[in-house]
Amino acid sequence: MAAAAVMVSSASGLLAMLQEPAAELKLHALANLNSLVHLFWPEISTSVPAIESLYEDEEFDQRQLAALVVSKVFYYLGELNDSLSYALGAGPLFDVSDDSDYAHTLLAKALDEYASIRSRSLKAAGEEEIMDPRLEAIVERMLDKCITDGKYQQAMGMSVECRRLDKLEQAISQCDNLNGALSYCINLSHQYVSHREYRCEILRCLVKIYQTLPNPDYLSICQCLMFLCEPETVGNILGKLLFGSKDDALLAFQIAFDLVENENQAFLLSVRNCLDTLSSQTSAQALPSDQSDNAAIEPSGDAQMTDNVVTPNGSAHTVDSNEVSHADRLTKIKGILSGETSIQLTLQFLYSHNRSDLLILKTIKQALEMRNSVCHSATICSNAIMHAGTTVDTFLRENLEWLSRATNWAKFSATAGLGVIHRGHLTQGRALMAPYLPQSGAASGGSPYSEGGALYALGLIHANHGEGIKQFLRESLRNTSSEVVQHGACLGLGLAALGTADEEVFEDIKNILYTDSAVAGEAAGIGMGLLMVGTASEKAGEMLAYAHDTQHEKIIRGLSLGIALTVYGREEEADTLIEQMTRDQDPILRYGGMYALALAYRGTANNKAIHQLLHFAVSDVSDDVRRTAVLALGFVLYNEPEQTPRIVSLLSESYNPHVRYGAALAVGISCAGSGLSDAISLLEPLTSDVVDFVRQGALIAMAMVMIQTNESYDSRVGTFRRQLEKIILDKHEDTMSKMGAILASGILDAGGRNVTIRLQSRSKHDKLTAVVGLAVFTQFWYWYPLTYFISLAFSPTAFIGLNSDLKVPKFEFLSNTKPSLFDYPKPTTQQTTTASVKLPTAILSTYAKAKSRAKKDAESKALEKAEAPQSEDASTATSMQVDGGAEKKAPEPESTFQILTNPARVVPAQEKYIKFLEAGRYEPVKLAPSGFVLLRDLKPTETEELVLTDTPATQAATTAAGQQIPGASAMAVDEEPHPPQPFEYTS
Amino acid sequence: MDPKLVEVTQLFSRFKAAFARNDFDTSVGLLSQLKVLLTKFPSLPPSFQQTPNAVEELKIARDIYEHAVVLSVKIEDQDAFERDFCQLKPYYMDTCDIIPQSPEEYPILGLNLLRLLVQNRIAEFHTELELLPVNALENACIKHAVELEQSFMEGAYNRVLSARQAVPHETYVYFMDLLAKTVRDELAGCSEKGYDYMSITEAKQMLMFSSDQELREYITEEHPEWEIKDGCVFFQKAKETQPCKEIPSLQVINQTLSYARELERIV
Repeated sequence: MAAAAVMVSSASGLLAMLQEPAAELKLHALANLNSLVHLFWPEISTSVPAIESLYEDEEFDQRQLAALVVSKVFYYLGELNDSLSYALGAGPLFDVSDDSDYAHTLLAKALDEYASIRSRSLKAAGEEEIMDPRLEAIVERMLDKCITDGKYQQAMGMSVECRRLDKLEQAISQCDNLNGALSYCINLSHQYVSHREYRCEILRCLVKIYQTLPNPDYLSICQCLMFLCEPETVGNILGKLLFGSKDDALLAFQIAFDLVENENQAFLLSVRNCLDTLSSQTSAQALPSDQSDNAAIEPSGDAQMTDNVVTPNGSAHTVDSNEVSHADRLTKIKGILSGETSIQLTLQFLYSHNRSDLLILKTIKQALEMRNSVCHSATICSNAIMHAGTTVDTFLRENLEWLSRATNWAKFSATAGLGVIHRGHLTQGRALMAPYLPQSGAASGGSPYSEGGALYALGLIHANHGEGIKQFLRESLRNTSSEVVQHGACLGLGLAALGTADEEVFEDIKNILYTDSAVAGEAAGIGMGLLMVGTASEKAGEMLAYAHDTQHEKIIRGLSLGIALTVYGREEEADTLIEQMTRDQDPILRYGGMYALALAYRGTANNKAIHQLLHFAVSDVSDDVRRTAVLALGFVLYNEPEQTPRIVSLLSESYNPHVRYGAALAVGISCAGSGLSDAISLLEPLTSDVVDFVRQGALIAMAMVMIQTNESYDSRVGTFRRQLEKIILDKHEDTMSKMGAILASGILDAGGRNVTIRLQSRSKHDKLTAVVGLAVFTQFWYWYPLTYFISLAFSPTAFIGLNSDLKVPKFEFLSNTKPSLFDYPKPTTQQTTTASVKLPTAILSTYAKAKSRAKKDAESKALEKAEAPQSEDASTATSMQVDGGAEKKAPEPESTFQILTNPARVVPAQEKYIKFLEAGRYEPVKLAPSGFVLLRDLKPTETEELVLTDTPATQAATTAAGQQIPGASAMAVDEEPHPPQPFEYTS
Repeated sequence: MDPKLVEVTQLFSRFKAAFARNDFDTSVGLLSQLKVLLTKFPSLPPSFQQTPNAVEELKIARDIYEHAVVLSVKIEDQDAFERDFCQLKPYYMDTCDIIPQSPEEYPILGLNLLRLLVQNRIAEFHTELELLPVNALENACIKHAVELEQSFMEGAYNRVLSARQAVPHETYVYFMDLLAKTVRDELAGCSEKGYDYMSITEAKQMLMFSSDQELREYITEEHPEWEIKDGCVFFQKAKETQPCKEIPSLQVINQTLSYARELERIV
């Protein structure tokens, strides 16, 4: 019989059949061609015109089949456009569920086509491009199929891509895991949607869906609303929650903390105002409903109550308990929204957990040559960074005489450094700085440098929370004619009024600018930018015009940075201004243009921006512009840190040292705090570059990447620390790289080793203050005092659990990994340590195995113990040292977990190991591994045990007579942090 | 036996009867019905499913198409010939393992070669030839076509014309007649290039016309640009070929310069 696989050798027979007059024969031929097209497309391609004419023949009843055959032939010929248009002609015959290459390719093509048409027609709103309804039908069929097949994520992704919010809604609503789907979409919109307006649209749609849920996730809603900038809605939600149960109030607090974390001052302010008006309006109306809930409440004077809500004074005599608690909640939430609560708690945390190593500073100080002022002020700066926000100025007080060597601008910096150390000390800030501030009235003998520095310091203390200090700074600015003081005041004002766009302040600073003094003008330019951050106001034009007028390079530079700041986060909106700046004759303005690109597209990884920057990085004639262009890549890419080393790796090998420097800092900025291995590998060779300033940049960048990483996590950290020490001790090292090494050691141990550089909040929003801080920080190339701006980028790595009174209760949770992995780095020598640190011991593998078996049993027991509600006695009896993490018994193998107590240091890399224990007294409202987390009390009747009540109490001390030395005064001497009560744990 | 097969067989016998009667209209009608019926058989190309009746079906289908080819020659329809031949070809090329060779195979292949020669599609002629097995070239029908092509290429037109007397198959006559026309066209083309003018008698002889009248008709029909006067045929030589195209020197220079500039920029 027949051979197993008889195949036709040619399609010519079938093609001939197409010419037959009988329609049945044509049909038969087409059907067969359709199934054989993958074999005979080269032959069929010569007859395509014939098949096309069949398709165009109105009377032929199988036109669609003809179209399908033609489409397939075109697909094999690689003519995807023609193929698609015929596939559309094939109508329902084109099977979207077909699992062939042809179907896959064409579907992808169809989606691309559809998405591009949709986005084009949205951009050019005037001329609507005609959408092929057949294309739309195919895409819809595809989406429907995904939804029915349960591939919701695919469907969501595609509908976002194709700008079909209706389908997105459908996909989400049919999904079984609704909350998961929504958070997936939020991620999606932040990561992949580059068009700002469209992203807003998606978020608006998501909020709509959220609100229809029976049990909405207010945390996510409010995050979306913040992005959309709708303070009223957030205000309403918060208002509603405040009236609800105790749990609702906790949720409201949590939302407020999450909002504060994103550092959007203007937004928070309007939410606060909104809450004010809301409470005065609604409390009257809300009361009846409250009463229906709670019959025990006596109806009493409504008007009086509303007053009470607005001004909760102590004279609440007839007011029922419900109202009181509401008023109390309102004040609390306003406190949170103003940022004061979190700042205060952070301050307490940083103070009590300060682990900075004074010995490092001492080594630096001793190693340096006396007369080298650059290194001298770098050391002071390094100290400030190391103690940022901890209020610990022991080092300064111990080295008064050494400190007094700082003169002129060094003095300015030294005084400003105090602001960094006391950052966030809102209540005491002014008192602390009082000795250095310009004295009104009497002509003070103080030097203008320390006065200016003090004003700048005030700005740093009150950065982004400057309501209280703004007025004072303005007055100081008006009352002085010294350009140094003006310089400090402008920076201070800019910082304190960050992003508020306050007209009066702007006018004040502008007046300084128009005096055309180089020193003051530079600060004025930056100050104006800080004031107008992200407003994209027309003021930028005014600034640009003045930049063209003035002769002073310093002023032009200040202004161009200021202009860049105004377009922060505006993405496409900023394009005209960016174009204008990058086309300018003046390299300094082009340099500002690079910053504008960086800030407008911060953390978007926008392809267009990256392209432009790379173009400037290789083509501009000015080294400054090239350096900045590369550096700016770091800002654009900080949302995808893994990408940066790859993108700049070629540039880091450039012959031009400026480009290498930029590459180093770009990696430092975008990978800050990540400890990313690729980033470290890229920076390592640069730290021993032949050019001194490249070494400087690489050292600083490396410190930024390695911040809060210890040696057991990545062994290169230890190498790097030793390298820093070597550079500092080396007599023949260039000053530039020495300065870099000193600053790097400061950054590496910043904020008492309890802060990291974080440009994105936990909810993936950009942190405005941090980004702005780093942007201005990179100006230290021209002006050392601006180094202090890096303190704005520090955010504490802490888990701080709060109860409904916003107090810190005793609460324990688990870090499910080896304690040494995320421990504090070892102090440099044993003398300075208070806690003994476990040394690594060599363990034979057999021993380790036996041990680990034994340990498992012990662990399970220990867990039981930890989970069991402990009485106080039991907790002190256990022998595990909390929070320090190091076990006393050296030869014991390291345990694989660690119990942390609230408030605890949780470094970013550690977050994924954090587990909350069940059956404890408290339950977190939100399962966040770090940051501020509200705790729900499951046993409200028992008395709570509070921790962290020791505030760094400071009294304004009198100035050390005659000596205008920073740090010598104004600090409480006797306040040493009390380590948390240790308890031990035996296995 | 399969009812469909029975139906086809009956219809085919009616077709053959009509064909034998030279009743071409009926034949054509029946043939198209047959073709439609054949599409119902899954065992036929291109699917080649192995049904129990596959051999019979294939045989009868081949037979039908062979008749179709011959019929198209008889009704002198070249397009139909090509169509039918193309559909027949898979039965010759791909089914040799299933059904025995048809006695008609070589005559029909030869016929096809002849057709290609007549239509002056020499490239395809050779392609077809290459596809044939070596021993096929020994076959009289194929050999005939091959020899004709050789003579035709050599320009030995008299041999081509004389070959009409020695056709291996009666169906070849139609194409041989057509071939004479092809030869005449070739001759006319050559004369036009070769001579400025030619006397009518010579032209008549050259182009194998028996009367002046026929020659005149041919000229008006095929070569209206020729002119007859003073007893001679004047071949209006195609107008002097237009001067060769200008070299786009400026464009080339511009391109080269811009390449050089780009190169310089890259480094």
